[in-house]
Amino acid sequence: MNAPLLEIKRLSKAFGRVIAASNIDLTIDPGVLTSIIGPNGAGKSTLINMLSGSLPVDSGRILFQGADITHLPIHHRVRMGLCRSFQVVNIFPDLTVFDNIQIPVLAVHKRARRLFRPVAREAGVREEVSQVLDRVGLAAEAQTVASALSHGDQRLLEVGIALAVRPRLLFLDEPTAGMNPVERVRVLENIRGLSEEGKTTFVIVEHDMDIVFSLSDRVVVLHHGVIIGDGTTEDIQKSARVREVYLGEEVMT
Amino acid sequence: MLESIVHVCLAGLSTGMFIWLVASGLTLIFGVLGVLNFAHGSFYMLGAYFCYTLLGLMGDNFWLGLLLGPLCVCVVGFVVERYFLRYVYPLALPYQLLLTFAFVLLFDDLVKVVWGAGSIGSPTLPGLSGSIPILGRNFPVYSLFIIGVGPLVAIGMWALLEKTWWGRIIRAASSDREMASAIGVRVPALFTAVFIFGTWLGAMGGGLAVPYVGLLTPGMGESIIIDAFVVAVIGGLGSLKGAFLGALIIGLLSSFGTRFIPTFDMFLTFILMAAVLLWRPQGLFGEAA
Amino acid sequence: MKRFWTYVFIALILAGLVSIGLFAGRFVVYLSMRVLILSIFALGYNLLLGRTGLLSFGHAAFYAGGAYGLGLISIHVTTNPLLGIIVGVGLACIMALVIGFFCVRHTEIYFAMLTLAFGMMVFSLIWNLREVTGGDDGLVGIVRAPISLGFASIPITKTSHYYFFVLFCFILTVALIYLIRRSPFGLVLSGIRENDRRIEFAGLSVRNYRLAAFVISGTFAGLAGALGALLESNANPFSAHWSHSAEPILVSLIGGIQTFTGPVVGSVVFILLREIIERFTQNWMLWFGLILLIIIMGLRGGVVGGVAQLFRRKRSHVAKSGGNR
Repeated sequence: MNAPLLEIKRLSKAFGRVIAASNIDLTIDPGVLTSIIGPNGAGKSTLINMLSGSLPVDSGRILFQGADITHLPIHHRVRMGLCRSFQVVNIFPDLTVFDNIQIPVLAVHKRARRLFRPVAREAGVREEVSQVLDRVGLAAEAQTVASALSHGDQRLLEVGIALAVRPRLLFLDEPTAGMNPVERVRVLENIRGLSEEGKTTFVIVEHDMDIVFSLSDRVVVLHHGVIIGDGTTEDIQKSARVREVYLGEEVMT
Repeated sequence: MLESIVHVCLAGLSTGMFIWLVASGLTLIFGVLGVLNFAHGSFYMLGAYFCYTLLGLMGDNFWLGLLLGPLCVCVVGFVVERYFLRYVYPLALPYQLLLTFAFVLLFDDLVKVVWGAGSIGSPTLPGLSGSIPILGRNFPVYSLFIIGVGPLVAIGMWALLEKTWWGRIIRAASSDREMASAIGVRVPALFTAVFIFGTWLGAMGGGLAVPYVGLLTPGMGESIIIDAFVVAVIGGLGSLKGAFLGALIIGLLSSFGTRFIPTFDMFLTFILMAAVLLWRPQGLFGEAA
Repeated sequence: MKRFWTYVFIALILAGLVSIGLFAGRFVVYLSMRVLILSIFALGYNLLLGRTGLLSFGHAAFYAGGAYGLGLISIHVTTNPLLGIIVGVGLACIMALVIGFFCVRHTEIYFAMLTLAFGMMVFSLIWNLREVTGGDDGLVGIVRAPISLGFASIPITKTSHYYFFVLFCFILTVALIYLIRRSPFGLVLSGIRENDRRIEFAGLSVRNYRLAAFVISGTFAGLAGALGALLESNANPFSAHWSHSAEPILVSLIGGIQTFTGPVVGSVVFILLREIIERFTQNWMLWFGLILLIIIMGLRGGVVGGVAQLFRRKRSHVAKSGGNR
């Protein structure tokens, strides 16, 4: 294993008296598909928001590929290769599916600043957009306005936009929420395939334990802003502490 | 020097209280409905013209005119909210602002049609006209009266919002519309009511302006609405306490500015507005979000 | 086939515009210039409003920047309009850069209020610095000297000559805005309008792109201002007043803010209607208020959007229309 992809050191965040993260230490290695689980209000969303740059941290440091990104703005982190998808659909509703993917691809190709050259002439960009669309299975809908897609397809598009920036580390916030079983299988296979390709490392926040235990190499359990479990799926299933926290919340398989 | 400063302060206070009368309604409407109402200046103007006309009709009874004039404007406010504004709440901001702007154009010209395009001199009030000496110089009694009315309105609104059942409902609806409608508040009706009340405040300001500004002109709403915007922004959009203090600041700033640096008097006002927006968008007296 | 008819349409419009300059009377030429100048103002402005989704009440300041920049050069330095226009447009551009730098930190109502504040600062300076700007009189006596290019000199003193210069600037503006709308940059701007958060997560700085759109639109406002000052032979302080910023907004809205041609069509409608209404009544604002109400309440696509919708409805009887933009 080479150097860690992401290193979090003593990260803390509080909203008034509610502690959302308390001295979290966490390391994520490349290629290890990690899931973050925890009961509602455990601080999962806060953690992702801090790591992706939406929320300022109270204290602690975030290192990405060795560089301190604790105070970098979102778009810098994205350019370095750290991106996320959202729990609620977060797309460009009035643009076509193709344009939805094209914007991040333009950014990756450093073409987004071109002022006077028609976007239609960016052949390399268009090709890559088509590849991303194929990958998430939306090629047939390329010219549809995004808001006209079904909810499941919008979620696919959401994941597609996040993938289009060619991230090295991608946080997926409940990637399969609101999907039908067919779409769900497609997304999960995508994630597994991409993860095995090794270009992108995935960190998934999920409620669905089936997904978590079938997909993950490693599971991190968060509770009241503290990591109370960290290990392989078997470790977590056996952990007494985790069972205690989840008791009454959800039945563990 | 001291006399002069006292007088400049008094003039500033009366100007500030004036703007407050207009800004209070604007702020209330923004706080609850989330709409920045350009037409609020028009309500001010309509209030002034209605009061002026009623004053003529009712044999110089200013107080009766002041009571009835704004009520007439409330009818206008009702129509604006119920039949127009209500339908643009879900739309993007430009549409909301421009709808109210359309009413500015409309009312400005309607006033010209009804009352003529020229200025109208307003009558003086028995009892409140004239001046009294303060520190050896005369100061208009009516301005002192306005300085007294402003805080009264502020206290009245505070009592209404903090101490009554109605106030609780309004505050609930302004902080969370969905929650309010979930607990059975008829939000659309409440919005209409609040808009009418805000209109009434603006029109009252206009009515009180009749003896104060001396001249009624069809454009009088447009100059005051920008002052009211400045005040509402400085105090923090939607905050009544902020608007009151903001009005005091702007009143004093402009009267000291006019007295000592007339060239940069207007500039100062707007630089303060920009500075607040940049460094404390929640307003000078608002709490951080 | 569709492309062919588009070319025919453009050629017809161009022929019409040129023949106005060649054959029409002075008044019609004057009105046409006002339409063209307002179009330049609105086309630039709509890049911000329709594309990026930002409502500015400060663009009158950039218009005035162009007008006063040209006026000051013309009165104090040289009457060569080319230098005046370059300085005016440059001044507007720098003003937009400085003011925009602060304004793009906010969006929505806070952005609108910030632009209002900065715009009114500029207005108050123009109003009060009498020695420089002429205060409420404005700058008067701006002459339309020939444009000297060194090797050639183009006379624009006559109204019909100046018309062709304005027409040239208009065509240039239309072409540039057209290219920008189709460019990657233009796509990113519509992305910002749709979902600015997502643009950040595409790895792009929303602030920088907003600023770029702000500066571009401010620069075109400056061009419109410089041309307007040459047309009227003066620079008017009220051209910096916030209510003048409402003009490109109204025009874009009338024409349709989501369309490319909307601001131009809106300018034609605006100037013509105003001229016609003023023939019959004193109260054009009343009528404009009504028109604006109708557009906002029922016809939000504006004239162009409305017509396009009519066509689409017709076509959708034949085939199910896909969404393309």
